[in-house]
Amino acid sequence: MAMAGKILYWRGCMSRLKMKGIADSTEALLGLLGANYDTLGGGEGCCGSVLLRTGQQDAARSIAILNTEKISSLGYSDVVTSCPGCFKTMSSEYPIIIGRAPFNVTHISQFLYRRRAEMAGHLHPIRARVVYHDPCHLGRHMGVYEEPRALIRMVPDVELVEFKYNRSKALCCGAGGGVRSAFPEIAVEVARMITGAPLKATGASIIVTSCPFCNFNLKEAGGVDVIDLPEFLLRSWRGSE
Amino acid sequence: MSNEWIDPKRRELLEWLCDPGRRLGIDRAVAAYTAAKEGALGRLPEMEEMRKEVRKIKEGSISRMDELVRQTVDSIADVKGTPYLARDAAEARRIFCSIVGTGKLVVKSKSLTSEEIHLNSALEDAGNVVYETDLGEFIIQLRKEKPTHIINPSVHVPREDVARTFSKLLGRDVESDIPSLVGVARAFLRDKFCNADVGITGANVVSAKTGTLFIIENEGNARFVSNAPPVHIAITGIEKLVPTLSDAFKVVQTLPPYASGVLISAYVSLVTGPSKTADIEKTIVYGAHGPKELHVVLLDNGRTEMAKDPILREALYCLRCGGCLYECPVYRVVGGSFGDNYFGGIGLVWSAFTGDECAVAVAIDACTKCGRCKEVCPLEIDVPKMVEHLKSNLASRGYVSKKHAEMSENIMRKGNPFGIYERRQ
Repeated sequence: MAMAGKILYWRGCMSRLKMKGIADSTEALLGLLGANYDTLGGGEGCCGSVLLRTGQQDAARSIAILNTEKISSLGYSDVVTSCPGCFKTMSSEYPIIIGRAPFNVTHISQFLYRRRAEMAGHLHPIRARVVYHDPCHLGRHMGVYEEPRALIRMVPDVELVEFKYNRSKALCCGAGGGVRSAFPEIAVEVARMITGAPLKATGASIIVTSCPFCNFNLKEAGGVDVIDLPEFLLRSWRGSE
Repeated sequence: MSNEWIDPKRRELLEWLCDPGRRLGIDRAVAAYTAAKEGALGRLPEMEEMRKEVRKIKEGSISRMDELVRQTVDSIADVKGTPYLARDAAEARRIFCSIVGTGKLVVKSKSLTSEEIHLNSALEDAGNVVYETDLGEFIIQLRKEKPTHIINPSVHVPREDVARTFSKLLGRDVESDIPSLVGVARAFLRDKFCNADVGITGANVVSAKTGTLFIIENEGNARFVSNAPPVHIAITGIEKLVPTLSDAFKVVQTLPPYASGVLISAYVSLVTGPSKTADIEKTIVYGAHGPKELHVVLLDNGRTEMAKDPILREALYCLRCGGCLYECPVYRVVGGSFGDNYFGGIGLVWSAFTGDECAVAVAIDACTKCGRCKEVCPLEIDVPKMVEHLKSNLASRGYVSKKHAEMSENIMRKGNPFGIYERRQ
């Protein structure tokens, strides 16, 4: 196939449109790594996660079918996502809807972890105490806990600390499941349950996360520097400290 | 469908969100609970096996709920208790009212199942005086509120507010230190137990083979309620039935560490039929020192229907420890508005079958499906999966908020939920 060996970087609606820094940094990092990738530009569309979470199964089905046809007909067999929602939906829910796994889907943290050896020599020190926030869709739902932490630890001088409740017991940022759109007031209060006392107890000045929705919502709660994993790695690579 | 159905429940959720007093009560309780639970589970490594066994017991019991109901009815009748099967809340209320009658003094221990059927107002409307005797329920009753947690009904009322409520009750100033507050309830309720005509309890688990009710508590009030008055009526959901005594004991061992962070609760009462004696000439007489009559109301009220749904039936495995509520990030901020009588993710499923569907359709949009509840559940009940399924059922019946409908339309028309126009490349 034409695109065999080429990956499709699926940016997701949040990184593509609201938190553009995440998609831009990820593309810059993929470029520095010499990754052979494409995006679908303005024709990417929606993965269907939001529809599934808000009970609109029929619409989600049609989106899943449409995306599968689109991606498969272009010949991509590997999709990498920024958003754990896209990751979960495409990797564990498309196969149920379509009846087979249409392509391989990995989260950007998994992709970067596999290529960590190529990053190792390029990372400059960041002198900071950082804490990693486990996104629900990436951690509890998909079991990806260690790759993001291993990547953060690769940055020289970084002190990675943990929330008291982490990994499978991590607290939710409050944005997921359509809560952010239905009840923004509740979503931000739930985020404050992380950026309040639990964050202070860690003494960290930066929250690194790997979900654009968590990133957005933790920023809404305010009072802390929140950064996406590829953004953090790019900052280290460029040595802009 | 217009969005007017959203407004009342939405207001309730936002009122909770903005109430620092209730948040304070919940925050204090969560801190105390999580520390106690972590301590208790640390001392119970065997719980890992036990909870898996209990999961199997519940799976087996729910798959033959009908049969266990028939068996329980027979066993209770065998020991001279009076069993009833109530198909719905209205029938259960009628049964209660016919047993209790009018002009009676009724004492109750905590039973969320009785709240589910709105029992107190039915008994009061029939001309009876009802006292809740669980401290939390007593506080809620005095404040004319609804319980906001299945184990700790007044979790949202900080001690300062309890003191104000008790001061009003006694017509004098009551100190807000917790031991004094407990003392007030003890002194006030003491004679009610002995003078009551009827005692009403729930049951945490029931052994079908023997018709034995297991009532778990810490305060000692359920012992009084089930023992001092001449008539004891128990109400329990039919999902609480398990085959044998030994199955029931496993449930009893699993509940307390998750419910309140203790190895075992202070009291576990086992009730098999009314009180009796055969001390004179081996002739059995019912009603010795305990109740002369035992009535057991087995409540269906949507449970059979729930068992038929391949995804939502898992909610029937719930032991009602309430642990998931303390661990739920959304419950932390919206408390007792997050459901209808039953709270949190699993409470939404319960409320959908037993309560106000409209309220559930609104509150469900506050659930992030983060899955923390599944992680901390002793039976690993897949709550986020059920909530998503329920949400989809509700949406197909037209319960889609304007905001979510807009998102869906944006996705279909513009390829993103925000409605932003994107130039195709």
